[in-house]
Amino acid sequence: MTSKTLTTSVYDWVDERLGISELAAFARHKTVPVHEQSFWYYWGGISLFLFLLQCFTGVLLLVYYRPGAEAYESVRQITFVMHFGWLIRSAHAWAANLFIFAILVHMFSVYFMKAYRKPREFGWLSGMALLGIASVFGFSGYLLPMDELSYFATKVGLEIPAAIPWIGPAIANMLRGGPEVGEFTVQRFFALHVVVLPALFLPLLAFHLWLVQRYGNAAPPSEEAKPAAERKSIPFMPNFIRKDLAMWLISLNVLALLASVFPWSLGHQADSLVPAPAGIHPEWYFMSPFEMLKLLGNVLPGESGEIAGLLLFTLGIALWVFIPFYDIKKPGGQRARAAHYFGLIAVFALLATTVIGYWTIR
Amino acid sequence: MNYPFWDIPILGSGWVIGLIAIFHVMISQFAVGGGFYLPLAERKAQRMTDPAMREAWLAQLVRHSKFFLILTGVFGTVSGVGIWFAIGLTHPEATSTLIHNFVFGWAMEWVFFMVELTTAAVYYYTWNRIDPKLHLTVGWVYAGASAATLIIINGILTFMLTPGDTWISVAGTGREASKFWNAFFNPTYWPSLALRICVCISLAGIWALITASRIDGDKRPALKTSLVKWSVRWLVPSFVAMPFLMIWYYLMVPASQQALLSLGIDTIGAGTFSQVTRMALVIIVTSATIIGVAYYLAYRNPVEFNLSHAMAVLLLALMATGAGEYSREMLRKPFVIGRWMYSNGVRVPYIARINQQGYLAHSAWTWNGDGSGNPNSYSRGEAIFRGECASCHTLAGYRPLKDLLAGRDYASIGNFVTMLHENKADSPYRRFMPPMAGTRQDIEDLTNFLNAQVNPPTDGGKKPLLTAAK
Repeated sequence: MTSKTLTTSVYDWVDERLGISELAAFARHKTVPVHEQSFWYYWGGISLFLFLLQCFTGVLLLVYYRPGAEAYESVRQITFVMHFGWLIRSAHAWAANLFIFAILVHMFSVYFMKAYRKPREFGWLSGMALLGIASVFGFSGYLLPMDELSYFATKVGLEIPAAIPWIGPAIANMLRGGPEVGEFTVQRFFALHVVVLPALFLPLLAFHLWLVQRYGNAAPPSEEAKPAAERKSIPFMPNFIRKDLAMWLISLNVLALLASVFPWSLGHQADSLVPAPAGIHPEWYFMSPFEMLKLLGNVLPGESGEIAGLLLFTLGIALWVFIPFYDIKKPGGQRARAAHYFGLIAVFALLATTVIGYWTIR
Repeated sequence: MNYPFWDIPILGSGWVIGLIAIFHVMISQFAVGGGFYLPLAERKAQRMTDPAMREAWLAQLVRHSKFFLILTGVFGTVSGVGIWFAIGLTHPEATSTLIHNFVFGWAMEWVFFMVELTTAAVYYYTWNRIDPKLHLTVGWVYAGASAATLIIINGILTFMLTPGDTWISVAGTGREASKFWNAFFNPTYWPSLALRICVCISLAGIWALITASRIDGDKRPALKTSLVKWSVRWLVPSFVAMPFLMIWYYLMVPASQQALLSLGIDTIGAGTFSQVTRMALVIIVTSATIIGVAYYLAYRNPVEFNLSHAMAVLLLALMATGAGEYSREMLRKPFVIGRWMYSNGVRVPYIARINQQGYLAHSAWTWNGDGSGNPNSYSRGEAIFRGECASCHTLAGYRPLKDLLAGRDYASIGNFVTMLHENKADSPYRRFMPPMAGTRQDIEDLTNFLNAQVNPPTDGGKKPLLTAAK
């Protein structure tokens, strides 16, 4: 039996039981629109790829990481004693940052292409939930090394939920496992990071991907306005998949460069008795909300200002999340324009507050 | 320090050269590789049996040669002059040595450069105006002239890493130029030339993908497919030959630099490997990615290959080129001209004299007070910092001394400077850094200056040298 016939027989055997040909036929018939904004279609795939990389590197880190009192020592061993431990840890940390960045780019591209409109509302909502969980992934993972920077950054970060009126302090206490950040916090964050969040994230991700398969990639309104004969598309399999693979390869390259040229550092062991070092700040993706609350606190000082700031902030997020329900397709297009400007303001506010945040900690 | 010091805060003067050089190399190596791409593509088109395809190829080559002429003739030449400007200001001593040693080399380079510029213009402006055979000949003349520029500059660049024993034996005697050919055909000349030729060929294909991506794939699928696929094939020689050429290059670099790389490879597992090894990894990983991306995006999907895809390949090439140039510079450490001149411009045999007479004794451009008294220790320290440290370090930017020395007190900084001064055989800094040249007083002055930066006095401290001079 030649190797070709052997391969065919194995494929036929598997196909008969799992129906792979049906899946392949479905993929062949599926198409992806081609237009000037097609570049933005890759960011969802890049986010997925970076998530898979984090699962892989996270499992490897799990082999040696010990939560609790030994957290710092175990990360020190991973970084400086285990062979290639530094690489796995750096790849995990950098992939987490790139992952959040890719999700943000994906979110804004979906927003400006108006891909949240009927029938894709659930795609948008599940995507927003995934972003929320991803940021909690980042926040919980940041504390796990328990070095000076992660300890104080977590302390600062927990000021955001603690600022919620009435229930805030209770939430912050529950997350910390007490009044102060300590080994119980690490235990809790570890459980959150490796069990609770994946248990929430994975089914939601499957739902999100299923919706993408069901409704396909949305074309921007300018493209949809064209007659069907003028719109171009390419088969998902193999054309789009090949391009996606190339993008994954570029992402892997960027990650490899960052991990090997700028390995993730490990500071001194956290010590609650020493004063916080200068320049402590939240991670870059929390800098904007942190700075917004700070600025609002300056405008409206005192507890009432804090409450007003949080309400305003919550209102902004609610407007963003529920955009599919009020920016619906209307003949005049006024709402569409308003939503577009709202998106531009959001991008500007995010960038400006992040820059101000970094500027003021210098 | 016989020249004024060029102070570039935050970025550091080295990166001014680096940024211009990386930009220049991307274009100048295209100028060489593209010099072969154009006549070979023209010859291929002329031999095509299908007249429609032949005309389509030739029309596309006209567009590509216009792009080629503008990019290499404008941006390539301007950035080339920019390198001269930057190295003259940043490394005046080293630039002076190169000019004195290779004066006829530079003359030859500029002759070929003039031929190159002229023929590039003639090649573009005579499309369909002169006999096709003659036009092709113009293309080959350009290719020969551009190859000659690479052949010459490669000798000068590799000399800086491995000047060779013969040249070193006459260095400083005033007879250096008599050993021109020994310095030119130095130990790393041939492997470096082979490596650069491979890079040039790859860049010819990568830049050609930029213009090929602009062809409308819906209207002209056959033309786009054939041109994109043909251009991707230009990446194959590098992909096959590069690993072997890199090993050859490694075998030819001096033992101390080999140790830098091999020590880096040995310590990858522990994560403590050197910067130059990290950069070497960047080159290998990115080169492999370029091949993969070009295969998936261009070779397998030529009709849909667009400008964004081509830019992605180009940016990866920029990354690999940048890493390559950075590694080449890093590999020379602690010298700017191997075994002859340290990276801060101090000549190796002058160290003993400076240690005896002081670093500032022969610094013609240093402020020596306004006549009312000698400059204070801080000001002398600042001048020494600028002369001996600032070619590679800034105070608060690239390789920042404020951060690198953070946590040290006055005594600790003094011990560190003394260790650099003693430059003992077992010093871990010896591999990368020049010795701190100077007297006991110089060590104290530099320590005072650095300590004032790392542990600033509460009263605001002494004013810097330039302000103090006013």
